[in-house]
Amino acid sequence: MRNNIRIYLVGAKTALASRMAYRADFFMSMLIMLLVEMAAPLITIMIYQNGATFPGWTMYEALLIQGVFLLGKGIAAPFFFGIVWNTIERVQNGTFDLLMIKPKSVLFMAIVTGFDAEDLGKLIGGTTLFTLALSRLPMPGLGEWLQFLLLFLLTLAVLFGYGLILAGLGIVWIGNFRVYQIFESITNFGLYPAAIFSKPLQTVITLVIPVAILGSVPATVLLGRPSAGTIGAVGVGLLFLLFSLGFWRWMLKKYTSVGG
Amino acid sequence: MLISVENLTKVYKTYQRGSSFKETVKSLLVRKPLYVHALKGISFGIAAGELVGFLGPNGAGKSTTLKILTGILYPSSGAVDVMGYTPWRDRKKYVAKIGAVFGQKSQLLWDIPPIDAFYLNKAIYAIPDRVFKRTMENMVELLDLKDVIRKPTRQLSLGERMKCEFIMAMLHQPEIVFLDEPTIGLDVIAKDKIREFILEMNKKGVTFILTTHDLSDIEHLARRVIVVNHGEIVFDDSIATLRRHWGEKKIIAVSTVHPLPDLTLPGITVTKRISDYQAELELDLAVYELNKFIALVNKASTIRDLSVQEPQIEEAIKVLYKK
Repeated sequence: MRNNIRIYLVGAKTALASRMAYRADFFMSMLIMLLVEMAAPLITIMIYQNGATFPGWTMYEALLIQGVFLLGKGIAAPFFFGIVWNTIERVQNGTFDLLMIKPKSVLFMAIVTGFDAEDLGKLIGGTTLFTLALSRLPMPGLGEWLQFLLLFLLTLAVLFGYGLILAGLGIVWIGNFRVYQIFESITNFGLYPAAIFSKPLQTVITLVIPVAILGSVPATVLLGRPSAGTIGAVGVGLLFLLFSLGFWRWMLKKYTSVGG
Repeated sequence: MLISVENLTKVYKTYQRGSSFKETVKSLLVRKPLYVHALKGISFGIAAGELVGFLGPNGAGKSTTLKILTGILYPSSGAVDVMGYTPWRDRKKYVAKIGAVFGQKSQLLWDIPPIDAFYLNKAIYAIPDRVFKRTMENMVELLDLKDVIRKPTRQLSLGERMKCEFIMAMLHQPEIVFLDEPTIGLDVIAKDKIREFILEMNKKGVTFILTTHDLSDIEHLARRVIVVNHGEIVFDDSIATLRRHWGEKKIIAVSTVHPLPDLTLPGITVTKRISDYQAELELDLAVYELNKFIALVNKASTIRDLSVQEPQIEEAIKVLYKK
């Protein structure tokens, strides 16, 4: 484990050094990432400033949900979601083989070599929004914080699961970068309180496709008003993680059985 | 045997795609599967310390064999034992003991110096500091790369990059190194340096398996050649035997004082008639003896100059590839 952490840190350091070779582009990319991610919260603020609301939610409560969602993505994107681009690109240009000649799991090597430094902009954006929204709300108690941390860990695990599915699809659908857009479209439902959607849609994003767990479910626990179906969402999230791990292994097996 | 391969087969599925508009549209909905038999039951063994060249035309099955031996691909059937491991089953433990250089796939990182990539490998293979430093310094000196490893990879020449690929592949001191076209695109000096390095490492006991299209690599390095064609081994022996495979032929260049005689005789093939006084030809010694040929030409035209050379290995390979 300690050795794997050391490998990950060396991988992150080399990725950062690589990216620093073009510093202007790096900082521009980080800034653009931050601005793009801030689009939804800015729209939310405009909605509330014009007198409209998400029924039953104050502006800062809505922003906290978005803060949790962006914080989750902000951690996932630089630290492990790079497996998606890394796998798609490597399978397309043939360098995926190089991950398989290292004495570590292919998944771990895809994570190590997929560290995405410029996505740290998303992390800065997510942290800022989360902190800002929380500072304008009553401070949660210790119990709420503990529940939130557990659920947020599941948020990260579910995001990891999405990464595994998208990367796995990249193994069989060569060069298909569109899968990321599909992911973005589906998960954007997580930016808003699940309760504002119709009941059937709430069920789908909570208990079928784990989207509410990406923002609404952990944030509402922190707000002291847990979403309906929180326990179900936890179960679905765990099942989703197991499914995605199996899916990745299945796709990897498909790769290793194709021709040279 | 260090490497033992028995009846290895690999069949993979691909899809037929037409080139016309109608066929392209049709292939969006229905694709006809095509089963490619990349390997048809090949068997061979390689002892520790050998330096074996793998030859074959494009699509012969060389890369598939190499990918199975490096644990990247599963075979369809057959058995492989390398140092007691089955590559695709014991992949993680196994690959810690092998190295690989792919001439067309770089392990270096484009924008940062090779030394940073070496440090990444140091972490991945858990190489102790002292061993890493000693091995790297030794290889840097052998490959003449002293200042090069600290420059960004993108600023290096192709030859320098390839030398760094060798260090990358061998820092963890592997027992076997697989080389897939390691000298592709390199100039003569870089090729020579890399060949010297391979021979030096081979002397120290490292086993090398080399696939290449550059026959001079094979001539300079390999003592044994395995030729694969259509998924089957069509030749497995020494370079000298490979030359003989083409036949007992000599390449002769002759120039004379008087016009050359008629050379349309059994066993003699004129390959280039430069002038009435000068020609290049192939002489099949099994049909026409060399001394008889010299006597014939000297008597008829008085030899001014004559050179006798071994046939190019390419000719022998062409014969095997056509099989």
